[in-house]
Amino acid sequence: MLLLRYIARRVVFVVPQLFGIVLVSFFLVKLIPGDPAVMMLGPTASAQSLAELRDRMGFTKPLLQQFTRYVTDVAHGDLGTSWQTTRPVTEDLFQRFPATLELITFGLLLAVAIGFPLGVAAARLKRGPVRKFADYYGLLAGAMPDFWLALVLIFIFYTVLGWIPAPLGRIDMAVLPPPTITGSLVIDSLIAGDWEALRSSLGHLALPVLTLGVINAGPILKMTQSMTERTLSSDFVRYAEMCGLPRRLVLRQAVRAALPSVVTIISVLYGFLIGGAVLVEMVFSWGGAGQYAVQGVLNADLNPVLGFVLFSAVLSLVIYLVVDLIYFALDPRLRS
Amino acid sequence: MDATRILEISDLWVSFPAYRSEPVRALKGVDLSIAPGEFIGLVGESGSGKTTLARAAMGLVPPPGVIERGSVLFDGRDLARLDDEARRSVLGRELAMVIANPRAELNPVLPVGRQISNVIYYHLGVRRAEADRRALDMLRAVRIPDAERRFGAFPHELSGGMAQRVVIAIALSCSPKLVISDDATSGLDVTVQTQVLDLLKRMVGENGASALFITRDIAITAHFCSRIAVLYSGEIVELAPTATFFERPAHPYSITLLAAFSHSAELRARWTRLPDAAADALPAGGCSFASRCVRRRERCLAEAPAPRPLAGGRFVRCHFPVDESVAAEGVT
Repeated sequence: MLLLRYIARRVVFVVPQLFGIVLVSFFLVKLIPGDPAVMMLGPTASAQSLAELRDRMGFTKPLLQQFTRYVTDVAHGDLGTSWQTTRPVTEDLFQRFPATLELITFGLLLAVAIGFPLGVAAARLKRGPVRKFADYYGLLAGAMPDFWLALVLIFIFYTVLGWIPAPLGRIDMAVLPPPTITGSLVIDSLIAGDWEALRSSLGHLALPVLTLGVINAGPILKMTQSMTERTLSSDFVRYAEMCGLPRRLVLRQAVRAALPSVVTIISVLYGFLIGGAVLVEMVFSWGGAGQYAVQGVLNADLNPVLGFVLFSAVLSLVIYLVVDLIYFALDPRLRS
Repeated sequence: MDATRILEISDLWVSFPAYRSEPVRALKGVDLSIAPGEFIGLVGESGSGKTTLARAAMGLVPPPGVIERGSVLFDGRDLARLDDEARRSVLGRELAMVIANPRAELNPVLPVGRQISNVIYYHLGVRRAEADRRALDMLRAVRIPDAERRFGAFPHELSGGMAQRVVIAIALSCSPKLVISDDATSGLDVTVQTQVLDLLKRMVGENGASALFITRDIAITAHFCSRIAVLYSGEIVELAPTATFFERPAHPYSITLLAAFSHSAELRARWTRLPDAAADALPAGGCSFASRCVRRRERCLAEAPAPRPLAGGRFVRCHFPVDESVAAEGVT
């Protein structure tokens, strides 16, 4: 009951939060130099046709009026159209966001699978090869740019070994994608029982997921390690040692106490990667949301940019709500 | 080994290495033994080495501390030299600890009933349901009202006194041979403190266990310890049967401690030497209490006193103990 009230209160606050985000991002995006009319009509267009197009698109109206117009449209679920794809931005984003989410979700799962156990092991064994490896790994993962690692991986696994399909998109051109249900090709292929689509989409996912996983395991490793070290030297662990509880149980309790911080860093990474995975998306021609937004910025196509910001904002708010709920589950002190 | 001793500490030296200076000696040749069923009070101010002594007794000298010399035998075994597994099977089962600040030291995310049950489950090897049942019995035994409901409560939902009772329940759940209480009631209200101490005394007594009560509050020890040891600066400066100690304290520091609880300002003033500039300049090698002693003489600055027996089964580490017989010859 308490929980429902809490969620309801959070959801109510979403509306003003989103309004604030639209307000800031609208005016910031408008500051980007570039004239969409010139982009659309090309360099040979006459001044008159340019002026007509600007007028038709509402760019000649006062900024405030443009803003209220945009907000009204958004309130009705209309994010405008992209002049590049000539399709509604909402439609474009609904197609591209699942691609990005599939990529970063699997990428982060891999990152957790690498970083978390390594962090716990490094915290427990203060000396020795595992700790050394974890230290170097953290340093290396922090120092390597993701697009560079992506290129290296492509070189090794595609060019040299040939184990992986060409890094172009999410699924082989020749393979028919499964009917869209969740938007994740892997899950949709599983639902459809389409093994060929599953194999192809997994093959295309492998390298970008590996890239994101290897790089983002760094911060997760560091956070897990330092928090577990801290809880291992905390009062309640010392007391558990005095009670002679088994080493494994004490370690489990310490790791359990470190979990909230690990959840925090994962959620931060998740929110960041929605836009931050764009370089990896580019390298693999992923066709994700980040790529879409960057193309929008480069071509003065403003609606996709604003739409992307809005989508990411909603997603981030959802993520932080989920994280808060996880905190509730993890820490009884927050419940009262 | 001596079969009549449950804890035998002999000539124990514990030191903590310090960066670019002499190691800090927390314990300097401590001798102390506890007989089965005996209650001993260990009194000392902050920094005197009380907690280090407790940790050393469990074989858990906090790192980077090291035992330089001497030994601690619990029931004939040196816990510091046991391997990790073997020590874990002794701690919490045969040698239990009652801690000072339970709301910070209990696991914050585990229901307290589960924390009692864990100790029973892992030490006694009973089934989980049986461990839970015994844990509930322990909660009742330590007089926690509405025990069934408190079983599922988290530490932060309990009052300080209640949490202290939980810790006592954990300590006694496996019927240990020795219970060490490290300043266990220091954070409680005076009335609650008395209740908890009475409970602890009664339950340890019913178990036939021995107890080492470490405290800053000398009045606590008066109630239920048969002997009192006074720790000052890592040395036991006086060890005496309780009645004798309160009637005829022999070490100037013991008197200072007792005077601190007295209502007589005159008495306090007579036995208190305020730290002065000269105190820092005292030569090394003398009595560790010399800088604060109102009775110090030339000899105290030059020579550290060895423990020596006095009448009535007492030991005192002082060249000029405050005692009629000795005082008569010493004071001129």
